[in-house]
Formats: sequence, C-alpha cells, structure tokens
Amino acid sequence: MDRVYSLLSLMDHLPDTISDEEVEGLLGFLPADISRTLEAVLNPRIREVSLVFFKTVANWLEEAVIAKEEGGKVILVPFNTPPEVLHVFEKATPITSEVLSTFGVAALDGQGEPYWDYAMGLGMPDSLCSANSIELGSILSRDDFLPDAIVQTAPGGCDVNSKIHEFVAAYLGIPQFFLEKPTENTGRGRELYSKYFNHLMEDLQGFIGEELDEDKVRETMERSNRCTELYYELWDLHKHIPSPVPNLFALYTYGVRFTVWGKEEAIEVLELMVKTVKDIKKRGDYAAPEERARALWIYTGYYFDFLGFFNWMEENGISYLGDGLDLYFPSPVDTSSMETMFEGMAEAAWNMPMTRQVGGESMMMNWLDDILYAVNDLGATCAIYCGHHACKQTWSVFSGVRNEIQKRTGVPTLCLQGDSWIRRMTPTSVLQEEISSFVNNVVTRKKRTAARRRRKVEAESE
Amino acid sequence: MEDLMPYANSILNPYLEEWREGGGQVVGYCCVATPREILDAAGILPYRIRALGNPDKELADAYLARFNCSFCRACLQLGLDGTYDFLDGLVETNGCDHLRGMFENWQYVKKMDFFHYLKVPHIITEESLEFFAEELELYREAISKYFEKDISDDSLREAMNRNNRVRAKMKELFSMRERERPALTGAETMSVLMLESSVPPSVFEDFLDDLIEERDSKEITGYRSRLLMAGSATDEMVLMKEIEDVGGLIVTDALCYGTRAFWDLPELEGDPIHAMADAYLKHLLCPRMFDDYQARLDFTMDAARRAKVDGAVLVYNKFCDLHGVENVRLRMDMEKEGIPVLVLEKEYGAGADIGRIRTRVQAFLERIGG
Repeated sequence: MDRVYSLLSLMDHLPDTISDEEVEGLLGFLPADISRTLEAVLNPRIREVSLVFFKTVANWLEEAVIAKEEGGKVILVPFNTPPEVLHVFEKATPITSEVLSTFGVAALDGQGEPYWDYAMGLGMPDSLCSANSIELGSILSRDDFLPDAIVQTAPGGCDVNSKIHEFVAAYLGIPQFFLEKPTENTGRGRELYSKYFNHLMEDLQGFIGEELDEDKVRETMERSNRCTELYYELWDLHKHIPSPVPNLFALYTYGVRFTVWGKEEAIEVLELMVKTVKDIKKRGDYAAPEERARALWIYTGYYFDFLGFFNWMEENGISYLGDGLDLYFPSPVDTSSMETMFEGMAEAAWNMPMTRQVGGESMMMNWLDDILYAVNDLGATCAIYCGHHACKQTWSVFSGVRNEIQKRTGVPTLCLQGDSWIRRMTPTSVLQEEISSFVNNVVTRKKRTAARRRRKVEAESE
Repeated sequence: MEDLMPYANSILNPYLEEWREGGGQVVGYCCVATPREILDAAGILPYRIRALGNPDKELADAYLARFNCSFCRACLQLGLDGTYDFLDGLVETNGCDHLRGMFENWQYVKKMDFFHYLKVPHIITEESLEFFAEELELYREAISKYFEKDISDDSLREAMNRNNRVRAKMKELFSMRERERPALTGAETMSVLMLESSVPPSVFEDFLDDLIEERDSKEITGYRSRLLMAGSATDEMVLMKEIEDVGGLIVTDALCYGTRAFWDLPELEGDPIHAMADAYLKHLLCPRMFDDYQARLDFTMDAARRAKVDGAVLVYNKFCDLHGVENVRLRMDMEKEGIPVLVLEKEYGAGADIGRIRTRVQAFLERIGG
C-alpha cells in the first residue's frame, strides 16, 4: 500500500485538465508498467474521470495514512465488505485488499509479482487468489503499512479469501472480526445475518473505541443512497446501443463501491461518470465505428493490462457492459433510525458481489439469476467468463451456468483461463486472440444469422 | 466373523447389497459435519461418499473444472457414471467450495428425488449453534417426510448411544496403532473407517469387537519412523500404504477420513438435536471453521505427542486452499514444537504421481533420521 500510495499521490500534482502532448511527455519518462496503465486511463474520452477517480483513491489511501498517524484504526477488509460500514466511524478507515492489489498491479513496476512470490515463498499454495495474495504478501513481507484489524466478510462466500486473511491476522497478531454469510436464502438466514452484523458493529465500536453517532451514520447513509441512484443511472446508460459507457467505467464503478461509497468523493466520481457518459452519448463519440459485441463479463475482468484489455476491447467494438463485481444491486437505506440504518447496511453487505451470488443457497442458481437478469436487461450479445483460476466456487459451477445461459437466453459464453491479476499465467495477446476469435466466429456470425432469419420471416409474412 | 477388510476398498459390498435387498435404504453424505445419528435413527444406512483412489474424472470434468479438488471430481465421477446409483438420496453440506460444487453438479445432472442441503456455519457462536440446531431439525423433518419414518427423540437418543459406543471402540482400535509397538498400520485403520460407513451398524460393531481382540497382541515391526498424517479429505489407503512401504508408519492422524471423524465427539446427552448441534459444530476440527485454529492445532499436537511421532506429513489435494493455507500455519507451529514436517501437495488418485511422493517421503525419512 505504501508504494501504491506514493505513486498515486503523484496524481494530485497533475492539473485537472491535461493536454495530449503533456500526456505523451509524461508517459515517455515513466516505467513501462505504469506508463501503460496511464496511457489507458488518460485516454481523452475518459481522462477527466480518470484523474478524479485516481485522485480519489489516492486521498482514500492518504486517509489511512493519516488515521494511523493520529491513532485511528485502519481496518483491512475484503472487497465484499461495504466500506460505508467503516465510514460511519470517525476514527476508522477501511483499506481493501483486492483494491490495493489491483492498484499495485496497475501502478507498480513489476506489478504485484514480487509480493505474490513472497507469499509463495512462505509455502502458500499457488492456487491462491492473487487479488488477496499480492496485497497480503506485501503486508506479510512487512514491506507495507500494517492494519490494526481485519473485518472478514468472506466466510460463506469464498474459502480462499477467508483463509488467506485468517493467515495474515494470525501472522501479524491482529484481531479479526467476522461477518459470516449463511448460505441460506430464506428469512431465517437473513435474520441470522442481521444478528451477526449487529454483533460486528458492537465489536467494532468496542475495538475502535468510539460509540457511533447517529447523525454521522445518517449522513453516510444519505450519501450512500445518492451513490445508489447514480449506480442505477449508470446501469441504465449501458442499455443504449451502442453502449456509451467507456469500458474502464465498470472498474471505476466498483472501485468506488469498494473504497469510498458513502463519502462525498464517491458521489463526485459517479456524477462525473454519468455526465461523461451522457456527453459521449450526445456527441456519438464512440471509440469504434461499430458495436460488434455487447459483453457481460460474468465474474471478474483482467487487471494487469488496462490498455490491452478494457481499451483494446473498446477500440475493437466490444462493449464491456460490466462484470460480476458490478452486480450488487444496492437498495436505498431507510435513514429514519439507527435500527433501520443498521438493517440497511446489513442488506448492503448481504448483496455485495460474491456474497450475493456464490455465497447464496445455490452457487449455481444464485449466480445464474444475476447473470440472466443482467444479460436480458442490458441486452448483452455474449457472456465471457474470465476463468480466474483461484475462483474455485465459480469454476465449480461454471459448466452448468454456461449451459443455462445458452438455454435461457441464447447468448453464447466464452470461457477463458487465466489469472486476473498476474500476467504470467495467460498473457494479454492470448486473451485478445481468444476474445477476437469468439467475437468474429460466434457473436457476430450469430448476429448475422439472426438478422438473416428475421429478414426471411419478414419477407415470408409479406 | 468374516474379515471385512477387503471390502474397505470397494464402493459396494455383500453386506450393503443384502441390506438393500432386504428393503434397507442408503443415503450418501460426505462431510463429517453431517450427524449420522439422524439417518441411523430412521433406520437408514448413512453411507459416506468416497472415491477410493479412483483416478478417472472425465465425466466429472464436464461439470467441475480442473481447478477444483480432484477428490471431489473423483467422487462426482462415481456419482455420474452410475456407481452411486444405489443411493436413495444425498445430503449436501457446505464443507468447502469444491464440495458444494460437487453436490450441486451431482444434483444438476442426476436429479435425485431426495436431496437435502444441510447448512453448516463457519463460526461458533450462540446464534450459529442455534441456527445449526434448526438446520438439524429441518434435516430430521426432511428425512422423516420423504422416507416416511418417524424419528422420535427417543430413537435419536438410541442412535446416539449406538454411535457413541462405536466411536469408543474406534478410539480404542485407533489407540492400538499409537502404541509403542503399534498393533495396526495406518492403511489398516483407514480401511476400518471406510467400513464404518459402508456396512450395516451391527455388522460393523461385531467386526470391530473381533478386530480389537484379534489385533491386541499383534506388533508391527520393520518400519523406519513413526509419522502423523494430517490434511485434506483423503480416503486413499493406497497412498498411506505407499508411505508405509517406504518405512514411514502412520501411527496417528488428524484426517477427516480418520480420527477427526470420531475422536473428540463428546457423549451426546440432553435434547438430542441441540446436543448434536453442539457436538458436531464445536468439534468439527476442519480448516473451513474460522476462529478455531487453536483447537485444530491442539488436536493435532495431542495426537503427535500421544503417538510419539518422529515427524508429520501434511497432505493436501491440489487446489484445496483451506488445507493448503492451514498447512503453512500448522507446519510453522509444529516445527516450533520440534516436530519435523513434510508438506505434500498431491493430486488425488494420481497413480502416476506416486513415484514423486515416494521419493519425497524417502527424503523426509532420511532427514528425520528414520
């Protein structure tokens, strides 16, 4: 985190607007890995949003640094912990493992590989999730900022995530606070979850040494509600054909969700995203002349090469309608009392990505439900599974999920294999080749066949 | 009493067939968090799913992926190829992500008429214990309704007593392996556990009595070192035999197809459902449980001390992250206590891998002076 923070804080020194020439100059003297990331995010169509987004992340990290210096508590959380649960405290700051890994991969020279290697050096199995292991490897190497505690919300949703966090807590000798997801979708499971959630909040108040202030909680929830509105606004904008939403915005949306949701900065980034998308739509400013495929990535994307992944797809007419991490469907929180606000936060946690799908009663059916809804609602023409090797839960039911997507929507699904955060496993060029083949040979051909069939039916009916 | 040992290595056996021919029903389960007593009280044979080193996975691989644990894939294979068609139903638990996938796919393809999902909490709190007790009540109701059997508290108590009696005998037998001059090998004790859940209870209990008596005076000799084996779900008697063949006698274990299945379960007294919820959840000793590592370490260290082991082999199936990560921590803690450790990542039922495993075990035995 220390290195990511140092690099991202450089963004603060950049002006809010920056010309193409200045970008080119900047990219020229930066190390290759960060230069490639910046080339992607400083693309003119998204430059303004990217600068605000990266500055927001840098400020979020800075808050953790300041909290530590001033005696506050820095709490490490996995991505399926709603950060507003900690933003309601004055003296606590969440830092999110997977977000730090992602920014480490995006910003550091050598990406996250040295930290992954450190974790492997301890004897960890190489089938662990790099999203956790990169950040946690850096903590274990003591080459990083140390958290004061871990809030663990992955039990029930992901064994790998839960286990590596447990190891880190033991290794560092810091406490863990649990919020288990009962794999039971009825009211009984939900009721138990609320009880667990209330215990978690009690324990956190004790650990942080702060009694929650109702006004502060309400302000945070009101801001969360505004984020929810903006989330749905962005969701709806994806429905336009061609999609006016730049591919990287999927990452930015959940980047906000996993870090600053419930804070003013979150609203600022999301509002700017909505405005930018509306401008693109109005101007018809698309990166490709034709939208050849509307892809729903059903779990995660790839994060080791923004330029070769998000931007490359966009330039090749493949719209990224979002991925599994965007599927959390937030609900407005009733702010009338502490009880209703606690219930609202519990509901948000229950619906976080992964928790909601593979932490559900049936990994296959709960995941499938969300995919089918998104495919139909967003008008996806194809689905893509990234095949992140560590996701044992999704891998274990993917075959059935793919069959059902095909059967129920007619949409084909591409199954890739790779590691979403480590380029060593499947390089960008191979991913691009597979995606291209799929789009060229399956998606567009299917579209042409469907159009021919439609024309034939129309002709016959005349 | 006929020697049952050869039947440990087969899915079906004459006793099971006879049970079924006589109208007896059989329900499969896999995870040790499933109380057998409830099925037993209904007069149903609880059959613990096993793969017995089955190396074939081609049907299973059409559903589970190669990134899933090969033990679960091997079990699913037997489910899909019809080997387990004799089962009258299945009980799923959320033991781990791979196991959930195995059961979901099994049901997705085979669509068993009786399929019950028993949800097991990952942490032990007052609320989770109450939730688990409710789960057991639902499990009892489901069996009772589908199989049209009355499962009264009294019949549950009776089943609990019977199972406790068997556990006590199993403990006695397994302790005979821990003696200074062990009376059984590790592979033999695992075979006994396999039989426990594949033959009718009365047959097994008689067999156990005979075996204890017969083996009491036996002494195993000719080994180089005394080992503990712990780690992932494995029913591979062949693996144990291979390790023992190169001189590492497995005198104790902390395996879920081993002592973890019965060793520490307390006497089940009082309200049967709550007693089982307490006993099973608090003594699960599986790395899928959180905030409970110390209990697992204590259990493993107690076994190591009791059996005066020279070293420990911590196995895990490739892609089993629960045990993969747990083994790192166990290794660190056991080595601190002066117990040399070999961590062995393996593929389940991979005969081709056995040469590598033998070499690593031989090297480990050299290292610990065996």
